[in-house]
Amino acid sequence: MNDVAATDTYPAQMTRVTLYWVAVGLVLFPVLAILGLVMRTLQAGFFAATPPEWFYAVMTLHGLGMVGVWFVAGLAAMSFLLARYVRPSLTVSWIALGMTALGVVMLVAATLVGKLGVGWYFLYPLPFFSEGTWPDWATAALFGALAVLGVAWTVWSGDVLRAIAGRYRLSEALGWHYLSGRDGPDVPPIVIIATVSCIGVLAGLVAAVVILLLIGWEVLGGGTANDALLIKNLTFYFGHMLVNITMYFGVALVYEIMPAYTGRPWKTNTLVVLSWNTVLALVMFAYLHHLYMDFAQPRWLQVLGQLSSYLVSVPAAVVTIFSTLVLTYRSQMGWSLAPTLLYLGVMGWAIGGVAAVIDSTITVNQAFHNTLWVPAHFHTYYLMGVVLMILGGVYHLAVALTSEAENVKRSRVMAAHLVVGGYGLMLSFYLAGADAVPRRFAAYPMEVANGPLLAGISLVFIILFGGLGLYLWDTGRLCVRALRA
Amino acid sequence: MRPRVARLTPATAVAFAAAFLAAAGVPPAAGAGPPSPADVGVAAPDEPPDEARYVSREVPDIAIRTVAGEIPLSALWRRGPLVLTMVFTRCAGICSPYLRALRRADEALDLPDDVQRVVLSFDPRDTPDDMGRTAEHLDVAGRPGWVLGVAAPADVDRLARALGFWFEWDEGRRQFDHPALLVGVREGRVARLLVGGSVNAARLGEVVREARGQFIASYPLPGDVLFRCFDYDPVTGAPTLAWGALVLLVPALGTTVTTLVLFRKPGRRRVGARQPGPSLRAP
Repeated sequence: MNDVAATDTYPAQMTRVTLYWVAVGLVLFPVLAILGLVMRTLQAGFFAATPPEWFYAVMTLHGLGMVGVWFVAGLAAMSFLLARYVRPSLTVSWIALGMTALGVVMLVAATLVGKLGVGWYFLYPLPFFSEGTWPDWATAALFGALAVLGVAWTVWSGDVLRAIAGRYRLSEALGWHYLSGRDGPDVPPIVIIATVSCIGVLAGLVAAVVILLLIGWEVLGGGTANDALLIKNLTFYFGHMLVNITMYFGVALVYEIMPAYTGRPWKTNTLVVLSWNTVLALVMFAYLHHLYMDFAQPRWLQVLGQLSSYLVSVPAAVVTIFSTLVLTYRSQMGWSLAPTLLYLGVMGWAIGGVAAVIDSTITVNQAFHNTLWVPAHFHTYYLMGVVLMILGGVYHLAVALTSEAENVKRSRVMAAHLVVGGYGLMLSFYLAGADAVPRRFAAYPMEVANGPLLAGISLVFIILFGGLGLYLWDTGRLCVRALRA
Repeated sequence: MRPRVARLTPATAVAFAAAFLAAAGVPPAAGAGPPSPADVGVAAPDEPPDEARYVSREVPDIAIRTVAGEIPLSALWRRGPLVLTMVFTRCAGICSPYLRALRRADEALDLPDDVQRVVLSFDPRDTPDDMGRTAEHLDVAGRPGWVLGVAAPADVDRLARALGFWFEWDEGRRQFDHPALLVGVREGRVARLLVGGSVNAARLGEVVREARGQFIASYPLPGDVLFRCFDYDPVTGAPTLAWGALVLLVPALGTTVTTLVLFRKPGRRRVGARQPGPSLRAP
């Protein structure tokens, strides 16, 4: 392979915009986490007089907000690390930041002011049948926010691809020369993962554009209704893709940062290329596992959903998890906070991934689909997976930018809180799911007595917030210092 | 297509004559036996029957009197899936066109003989002979699986209440006010309620299949739909790909084109032109 040299440093301008993205994440994350705490508190039976529409409004903001926050945080962090090799546009990143802020304001207004309670999946035609629970302007604000965010993130992802295209051919960016044995440049894993991820993001966002066009046509007097099944397919194509790809953003950080601590390079090889190209092919179909309950969907699509869900999780996850273990085994790595969080994130991905694959099995899903098993697995690979990876990446960035010595004792307290609190919270979800406690219930009826009990137990793991608080304070402080520098 | 013109057959003439006499206030020939129409009826609710409230309800096992004799409803639903509708022969409104639509749908589906089609009169003045004439008029007299009859007013009342059907005598028009309702019955329980002024082959096929215990995966959306993902054959119940499914390919195709456009000019640009920033080696 012909090596095309990368710089050892990152453009200074990227640092500033990245730190602003980090600030957005560090502010919104605790707010959205508190909304999650509110939901479990209501499910535990506290504040029983609270109208249920508040639960659903909070659920909508929590879901959409968390997906959005970690998507932008992941893309911002990955773009920053990519800047060693390619040149993403600063202007695009700033525009995306501004438009994201606008979208967030619109979402907050729709949910907390308008009491829009449609869930992150805004299942058509529910937003248009509020029965007076939320006003029409809240529905308009939801779709307006999705349009603003969709445009911003499409342009941003497209710009990352443009930047990669400025240095690599598509075949090189996807690492095909490793498979064919032809001569070509050394391509860092982060470039391959970013290419795969941004192509996936574009596909998801194009699906969102199609949804908005179809619904817009109907609402603005096109004279035709929409096929709810078609809109549901597109909605989950978009939603699943964004969540799934956010996971890969986190993995990209692991590939790029972990070698800095282990002292061992993480080079691209045929296995890495093969696994990520397989991901690119299969991630387009994995969303189908969200439609198992839609019996009107042809059976062959359901089978395709199960097969692709199984196969998409194996290559990237197994290769990454195995490589992480190989990279760290006897590496004399100091377990400071950044590599610890990255390592724990990979572990959360593995655990949550297994639970997700279980749930993507059609026969299991028939029993688990509407239970808390679903929040259990997606919280595991999200909160204990990609979120920890991104927090680790951000901490790595913050410490490196300020050159401040890390307080290892404090870091261990943080990590311990996050692990005990996080997995305790997950366990309460898993046990409830296995006990058939339904999800998306504002309050549990008498028949589901374990629902409030397990929701109450989950509140015990508020210890998680102790770790988060420490992290936010320490990282926020470092980021402010870096911004002032 | 030529417009259909109603033809006056002897049976129609008899029915019209009976309706005319009834409208003129002439008492029925049966004399003082049956109660008058004003004495029977189930009060109309504010809304049409809500299917969800009636599905799985037990259907009263009433005796039906036909020209061939008396038969309990349970004997019919034991033979196979049962579809039931309630009419009256003197109806100047929906009954006759509804029954014609039912027969046309039945013929279009070519339903097997085990399907029981029960047409029951709720008018106490109607007799088995009246219903027999209606069967002849419909051209289903003697056909296997077709049962047109009457029942005791108390039984009709019980059945109507169990099925969400209502009928009220309107003295001014000297007609019963009533909805058009088709009920699918499976083993003595309501499987489907179909409310509406007409019945087509697709709807009847679904009712029969549900009455047979088969699961209906989907129903076509009402109204004008822009793109349908899948079409649905109401007779076989099989989904097939529709043109709208191509919309599902738009994200992948759109992204492929965008990616190819972005990568159309291969570059070998080096980075580092900007002001260098920090090195992020591990502390």
